[in-house]
Amino acid sequence: MKRHLHFLLALAVVLLMPAFMQSGSLASEVLIYALAAMGCNLLLGFTGLLSFGQGVFFGLGSYTIALTLTRWPLPMPLALLLAMLMGALGAAVVGWVAIRQKGTYFVMLTLAFAQMFYFIAYTATGITGGDNGLLDIPRPSIVVLGHTLWSLASPWQFYGFVAVAFLLAFWLLQKVSRSTFGRTLLAVRDNEERAGAIGYNLKLLKLQAFVISGAVTGLAGALHAMMTGIAPLSNAEYHTSEMILVMTVIGGAGNLFASVLGSAFYVLMADWLSTLWPRWLLLLGLVLMAVSLWMQRGLWGLGDSAWRALRSKLEKQHD
Amino acid sequence: MHRRQLLQLSALGALPASLGLLQSAWGQATGAIQFGCPVPMSGAFAANGKFADLGMKLAIEQYGSALKRPLAYTLLDTEGKPATAVRKVQESAQQLGTRFFAGGILSSEALAMGKEAEKAGGIFITTAGADEITGADCNAATFRWSVPTYGAIEQTVRPLIDMLPKAKRWYTITPQYVFGDGLLSAAKNIFKEKGIEHVGNSYHSLAEKEFSGYITNAIAAKPDVLLLLNFGGQCADTLRQAVSFGLNKNMTILVAWASGLEQFESLGADLCEGIYFGAQYWHTVDSALNRDLVKRTADKLQVNPNYSLAGSYICTKLLIDGIIKAGTVEQKAVIAALEGMKYQGLTGEEEVRKADHQVLKNYYLLKAKPKARMKNADDFVDILSSGKSFLPIDQTGCKKA
Amino acid sequence: MNIYLLQTVNGIGIGMLYFLLAVGLSIVFGLLRFVNFAHGAFYLLGAYLCYQMMQWGTSFWLTLTLAPLVVGAIGWLTEKLMLRHVYDKAHEFHIVITVGLALAVQELVIVQWGALGTSVPVPDVLQGVVIWGSFIYPKYRLFVIGFTAVLALLLWWVLEGTRLGSAVRAGSESTEMVSLLGINVFRIFSLVFALGAATAALAGVLAAPIRGAEPFMGVEALGVAFVVVVVGGMGSFGGALLGGLLIGVVQSVMSTLWPEGARLMIYIAMAAVLLLLPNGLLGRKE
Repeated sequence: MKRHLHFLLALAVVLLMPAFMQSGSLASEVLIYALAAMGCNLLLGFTGLLSFGQGVFFGLGSYTIALTLTRWPLPMPLALLLAMLMGALGAAVVGWVAIRQKGTYFVMLTLAFAQMFYFIAYTATGITGGDNGLLDIPRPSIVVLGHTLWSLASPWQFYGFVAVAFLLAFWLLQKVSRSTFGRTLLAVRDNEERAGAIGYNLKLLKLQAFVISGAVTGLAGALHAMMTGIAPLSNAEYHTSEMILVMTVIGGAGNLFASVLGSAFYVLMADWLSTLWPRWLLLLGLVLMAVSLWMQRGLWGLGDSAWRALRSKLEKQHD
Repeated sequence: MHRRQLLQLSALGALPASLGLLQSAWGQATGAIQFGCPVPMSGAFAANGKFADLGMKLAIEQYGSALKRPLAYTLLDTEGKPATAVRKVQESAQQLGTRFFAGGILSSEALAMGKEAEKAGGIFITTAGADEITGADCNAATFRWSVPTYGAIEQTVRPLIDMLPKAKRWYTITPQYVFGDGLLSAAKNIFKEKGIEHVGNSYHSLAEKEFSGYITNAIAAKPDVLLLLNFGGQCADTLRQAVSFGLNKNMTILVAWASGLEQFESLGADLCEGIYFGAQYWHTVDSALNRDLVKRTADKLQVNPNYSLAGSYICTKLLIDGIIKAGTVEQKAVIAALEGMKYQGLTGEEEVRKADHQVLKNYYLLKAKPKARMKNADDFVDILSSGKSFLPIDQTGCKKA
Repeated sequence: MNIYLLQTVNGIGIGMLYFLLAVGLSIVFGLLRFVNFAHGAFYLLGAYLCYQMMQWGTSFWLTLTLAPLVVGAIGWLTEKLMLRHVYDKAHEFHIVITVGLALAVQELVIVQWGALGTSVPVPDVLQGVVIWGSFIYPKYRLFVIGFTAVLALLLWWVLEGTRLGSAVRAGSESTEMVSLLGINVFRIFSLVFALGAATAALAGVLAAPIRGAEPFMGVEALGVAFVVVVVGGMGSFGGALLGGLLIGVVQSVMSTLWPEGARLMIYIAMAAVLLLLPNGLLGRKE
């Protein structure tokens, strides 16, 4: 039961959202960004790599699905896989270059890549649509042998599809994080020199982490493009990378379900607060400062501490 | 995952969805008519968004109700991002049953929202500038009040050429994207027609803030007129820096797409003196509706209406008038009511062209006056000329099904 | 005069401002190993303080002196009260806390002064242009070049010629060693951070008459500062100067050579330097 706790928590979130929320689009957005945050978490929480390049992979995913559903049509499942592949490829390139540096230089390099990709996407209007982005992305139903298995037209139907993709990705990522590979990544995060001294191929490990992160983030970008029907330039912007990082940190690094918490918190809070006060970003800034000072384990850490406190209180009562 | 779980999951998803639909359908029939104002309230265009919100509020409060149903609206912060804009339009349609949207300050978000509105069975009317909105990307649900690039250039460059017959050399500074290119090609066509020498062009990215390099290019080309085709904050930056290089003293400057009152307020009269501006709207335009709006805005907000406010006001008003004329909130009927509608608008007589849903209205050429001649704090310009110039339908690229 | 010569001179003008913007970030990183994502916020505050003080009738010269001092004090307080507590945490929290601070400052600026932005007048004595043949250049920008050059000399003298400067330079090599020598390292940290904030604010005050004051100028400035610091070498004063001038000249020359790519070139240059000369032009090996 404990082994599956996180997955069950993720499943609970997936099932609870339709019960409590009226907007399928909002619910899908939570899961899509949860995917992106998990991808970022793999790099940050598990490998200790703070990447500002997630927007590149998100953007690549969006553009790829846009092109493979409109200009060079492919069946949708194949298009999704291609989007993940492009995300992984982009991550391989960025990772291969960035890994040559450590610490803050690594962060700066990912930042430079993010900006370069943005400007390239802005200039290559033939492929990316430039500032307008790519429009009219369809949401094809899942068709097998001529029979429409699953129409994705309505927001909640699409949510179901996103939920399936999300749970699948969650389960797979859990397997990765629990595998030898995952534990090695943790070793790299904790003490890189020692891990290298033991004989691990640091560059290869980090690259692999990048590739997986890129694939997951590319998937998120593709799903987002299908939900909104557009692949905008803003998906490749610095702000997207920043937002994904923020969600990861707020949720708590090093724990996959924490990324779901972080995504849900950010998306729902931003949505709700923006109706109350145009200066809601001020509150976000304050939250970030608070998390850095007092809640480094993020929302997950908060919940975990509260749970432990409750349990010890209950145990004391038992005695 | 097993197929059973899959089906269970989608069934589970369908349940609240059907509840939601039931609720909104019921709400539509008897409750308030919901309007949405999707504009940037945070991010670089927050100032425009703030006034657009006020404009819709004015219109909604003025009417109060239509078809015996109260009017209500929600502000949707697009953050200046098309994806957020689309998602919030979707959400609003799902949660509140909103079908009527007036907003979209940026072209990229307006384009995306127009398509989403059509999918959601609603109507979207915008003041964004990109030609494609009523051109190649036009659709049945999208309407536009503002004048696109062709008219903006026709009503500024052409009259100025006629006013300054000796000014034969023009230099352009253009933001490098579809909208900028639209303005530039429209200008080039007039240059060719009138025998103007286009002595050079500097493209720049939408993120640029340092224009001294482009201004240096312009100075080297020795033009008679400097034509600025950027807008908003970039236009303000370029103007500021151009004036600091003394360009306003030795050449004429024309800003083809000015933001209006708030831009003059932030730049100041001294900087703007003697510079020509093209504008969609000015608060001293002499029309009945505009006089009414100025009075309304003065009473409620103690300011003069700027373009963002006025644009949002008239777009909302059009939607409400369309609903009243159609006698129903049903999408196709309201669209049909709006198409071809002739009315007394803010700029005089205006018409919603049926074929591409573009409103035919005036565009203005303004000249900023010296501080000494300003009669009040907002009296920045003289209106030199105005007119309606629009591409014939077959040249807009709009093919509505 | 050849257009490229004109653009180079213009580029030096831009570059000097970039240097002033970046030098604080570089020194703070050199000593504290801290990447300050709120650096742009100090620049922003400098520009708005300049606007506000001149609205109150203060002369530009007084503003030039006072505003950086005020922002420096804010920086000092920020470091002492907040940032000090995250030094021992994982470096992502350095970044996240300063990102949060930058956001908060930006939004507070909007709350106070609105989202639109304003012009800031050039002081009367510096208005107008200098004309030399076909070379036209605003007097104010010439002033900025001169003033920043003097400031650069001053900063260099502080870093190389004073005890405080030696402590800062030694601390960049090893904070342990410096504290073992009996110097209060934490006080130096606060001072250096305040200096970084003050120089950023000074850049903001100088930039305001050129660029106006608008709430999002901090984000843009931070991007440029990062590029300059990376190209020049993190922690290097000379690197900030060289990097700033290089980036300024590249940007200016590109606006004739390849106008739409001017911005892109900056980031390409950044990536190229990071790859070929990982520690920047004048940086030291980690």
